[in-house]
Amino acid sequence: MKWNKSDMSTYIKAKEYIDTVIVPVIPFQTSKDEELIKDAHAQEVMTFFVHHLEKELSGRIMLAPSYVYLKSSELDEEIKRINAWVDDIQSQPFQHIFFITYDPKWKKYEKEMKGNLLWLPALQSEEIDVTEPRGIIREQVNQVVELIRSFW
Amino acid sequence: MSDKKHQVTRRQFLNYTLTGVGGFMAAGLLVSPIRMAIDPVLKESSSGDLVNVGISVDEITDVPQRVDWTVEQVDGWYKSEPSRSAWVYKDENGEIVALSPICTHLGCVVSWEGSEEHPNRFYCPCHDGLYEKDGTNVPGTPPLTPLAVYEQEVRDGILFLGNPIDRKGA
Repeated sequence: MKWNKSDMSTYIKAKEYIDTVIVPVIPFQTSKDEELIKDAHAQEVMTFFVHHLEKELSGRIMLAPSYVYLKSSELDEEIKRINAWVDDIQSQPFQHIFFITYDPKWKKYEKEMKGNLLWLPALQSEEIDVTEPRGIIREQVNQVVELIRSFW
Repeated sequence: MSDKKHQVTRRQFLNYTLTGVGGFMAAGLLVSPIRMAIDPVLKESSSGDLVNVGISVDEITDVPQRVDWTVEQVDGWYKSEPSRSAWVYKDENGEIVALSPICTHLGCVVSWEGSEEHPNRFYCPCHDGLYEKDGTNVPGTPPLTPLAVYEQEVRDGILFLGNPIDRKGA
């Protein structure tokens, strides 16, 4: 389910069944022309990816709104902010929290993170079509579904 | 200045023009409410049409297989192409069955023989929901109603599917 009005009314009635939260972690910047297209595309692909991931497992996972941070900001600070999200999420009976990102910088901070970090290699190919889950994205969704299921 | 030349008096002329202009204005005001009132009649249903899902009847076997397709959905000026899926197979009478893969419990996607421990059944990975091959929910597992069945039609040997139709609980 998603963090929206109708899904949250379902959530409140079925809390015991939804034990997993997915948080897409997305860097944002507009200052560097040369990386603008790449970063915006990564954001698009990520949004599309988690949308389809949510569809496959919607009865047991809640897709949180994206955690967006300035690409240039220090992760020492961001880690505190992201962990504050975890503290809030854990006030509900959630068992598993997954952060999904294409930004490799987080990998170094994985140990300090109060959730599971899934770093995926960014899909930069021009061919990635963000209107329909085909080929590589579908493959990636299936594999992450398997990974999440292994935690259940 | 004979009366014959002035068949329309100034007063009449003003009356006519005012009625005319007033009539147009009133009509202008009425058009939108009337259009609104009969709007549902004019609207064509965009999701109710059957869609070619890209599988021919010959390709369908007695083992359920997943087909994915997209439908064009128009919501105001916002056009989207939501993707849909179905599990399609032929039952023992050779009839085509197209089941919605959406678990009736909380909406995960079920898969045929998705768990090795439960052969010949649809399995929901989220809360171990089970369905028989015909989509009937297995009692004792979380789902309380069977999988929805798609409206279907075969045209020139190609399968067309419409909307999923919910069924009553077993």
